[in-house]
Amino acid sequence: MPFAETPLRDEYAAAVERVARLTLDALRDGAPAAPLAQEPVATAPRPLLAAVRVLGADLFAPRLLAGAGPDGPTAALLAEARRVLPAPLAPSAEAARVVEWQDWAAGQLLARTPYGSAVPWPPVLPGPEEVGWRAWSVRMAQLSGLALPGLDGPVHEGARAHALELARGTVRSLLRHDLTTAARLVRWVAWTGAEGLAPRLEVGPVLERIRLAGDGSARTGLGLAVARRLSERSGGPGGSGGDRRPEGDGRSEGDGRRAA
Amino acid sequence: MIDTQVLASAQRLGSRALSWLHAAHRDGLGRIPDNTLIDFGDADNAYKPLGEVALATSLVLRDGVSGPADSRAARELLDGCWAQLREGDLLYERQLHHFTMTDPLETYGHFARAGYRHPPLEELLDSLSRLRASDAEEIRANRRLGVANARRVVGLDHRPDWEALARGTWLGARPEPWAVNWMTGYDITHTVFHLTDWGARPEGLPGPMRDYVRDWLPVWLDVWVEVGQWDLVAELLVVDACFGEPTTGRQGWDALAAVQHEDGLLPRDSDPVDVDGDRERVFLDHQHTAVVAVVAGDVTLARALRATAGE
Repeated sequence: MPFAETPLRDEYAAAVERVARLTLDALRDGAPAAPLAQEPVATAPRPLLAAVRVLGADLFAPRLLAGAGPDGPTAALLAEARRVLPAPLAPSAEAARVVEWQDWAAGQLLARTPYGSAVPWPPVLPGPEEVGWRAWSVRMAQLSGLALPGLDGPVHEGARAHALELARGTVRSLLRHDLTTAARLVRWVAWTGAEGLAPRLEVGPVLERIRLAGDGSARTGLGLAVARRLSERSGGPGGSGGDRRPEGDGRSEGDGRRAA
Repeated sequence: MIDTQVLASAQRLGSRALSWLHAAHRDGLGRIPDNTLIDFGDADNAYKPLGEVALATSLVLRDGVSGPADSRAARELLDGCWAQLREGDLLYERQLHHFTMTDPLETYGHFARAGYRHPPLEELLDSLSRLRASDAEEIRANRRLGVANARRVVGLDHRPDWEALARGTWLGARPEPWAVNWMTGYDITHTVFHLTDWGARPEGLPGPMRDYVRDWLPVWLDVWVEVGQWDLVAELLVVDACFGEPTTGRQGWDALAAVQHEDGLLPRDSDPVDVDGDRERVFLDHQHTAVVAVVAGDVTLARALRATAGE
C-alpha cells in the first residue's frame, strides 16, 4: 500500500537526514561533541528513534574520531531506539547477517556505556575469495558504518586483507554512477589508509567527486566527512596523504612513480 | 595458473569470428570495388577495415597457435586483402602523395608482419621517417605509438623514445581509474597493444602502467560487460593477455560466448542485430568486433603457450 506508507517513509527519511545533519555538524566542529544530547529519551518521537536506529554506530563518529568514547545521552537514545524498534526485516539470509553486523557495531559501542553490555561477533561473512570482489564490496558498502576508529573484528580484518578489492568496488560504483555505494566504499578505503596500509586509490579526488556530483544528502555527507577525517589520519592533506599522487603535485618527477 | 576453460572459450570465440570474417570476404563483402577510385584525402579511408583484417590474421600467422583450418583461413584472408590493395601499390600511392599521413604505414605494418613486402613503399617510408614532419602530425598519443610500432615491425631504422611516447598517453598519466570513459577505454587498450606489439613484447609495457592496468582492468571489464559494449570488452580481453598473468578470469569470455551468433558474428554492442536485413550493413557494423575477437583468442592462447613453455 504505497499510498499509506509514503508519508510515513518520508517522515522517517526526514528524521534520518536531520539526525545525520546534527552529527555531521558536530563532526565538522572537530570537538568530541554529543549532537543528540538535547533530545529527550523518554518522549523521543518514533521517527527520531527510527533515525537513531538507522544511523547506529555513526552517531558516535564525532566522538570516536576525536579520540573520545561514546557519550551517555546519545547512548541512552540509541539503547531506547533498539529497545523500541526491531531490527529491520532482511530479504535474505545474507542481508540478515549484514544487519547483525550493523547491530554488533552499535552494541559494541553501547557496551562502553552504562546502556549496553558485551556483544558477541555474529557469524563471519564470506570473503571475496568465495563471492568475488563485486559482491563482497557491495556488502562492505552496506557495512560502511563499521569503518570507525575503535571498532575491530572479522569485518575489519577482511578490509585490511582486501584493500584492493575495496578500491575496485569504489571505482566500479563511480563508473556505474552509484555514488551512494561509492561514498560508503571510499570510507573503507580511507579506513585502510588510516590503518597504515598502502593506499590503492586516492581518496581525496573521490570525496570531491561525490561531494560535487552526489545526492547532497546529510547522510552521504556524514559518510564522506568520516572518510575525510579517516584519511587525514593517514597523514595527507585532503585525504591524499601517502597516495600515489599527492594533490597539487601530480607532475612530480621526484616521487619515483614515473620511472619505467 | 591458466584456466583451461578460459582457453577453450578464447579458442572457440576467435575461431568462429575468423570463420565469419572468412565467409564474408569469400562472398565479396567489404571489398574495395576494383573500378572505384579511393578518395586519397579521406582520413577514415576505405581500406581501413582491410588493414584491421590484416592485423588479426597476421597475428594468427605470427603466433602459430591456431589449428590448420584457421591458419589457412587467415592466409586466404591476408592474400585477399593484399590483392585488393594491389600488392601494396595502393598504400604506396597514398603514402607518396600524402606523405605525412600515417595510415599507409600502419596498414602496411600488418602485411609486413606476415611477409607481404613492397620494396618501393619501404624505401619511401624509410626516407619519410627521417623527416621531422612525419613526427609532427597532431595525432592521438596512442596512435603515435601505433606508428612507432609499425616502423618497428616493418624494420625501419627508427629509434623512437618509447618512454616519452608512453608517458604522453592517457594510460601513461595513470589518471583516476574512475575517470575512464568509452573513448579513453580504447585509448588504454591501444596503448597496451602497441607498446607490447600485441602481446609479443610483454616487457614493453612500463612497470607502473602494468601495475595500474592490473589493478583496474577487472573493474573496467565488469562495467563494460554490464552495459554490453562487446567490442570494448573484447579489446580489454586482448589487453589482459598482452602482459603477465591474465587478471579478469572468465567473466568477459563467458559474456562474449553468450552473445556470439552461431555463424560467428559477435555483436559490437547490446543493440539488436538485424540478421535478416542487409548483409553488407551487418558486416560493416560488426567486422571490427570480429577482428578484435580473433585477436583476443589468438593472443590469449599465445600467452598461455609462452607461459607453459617458460615453466
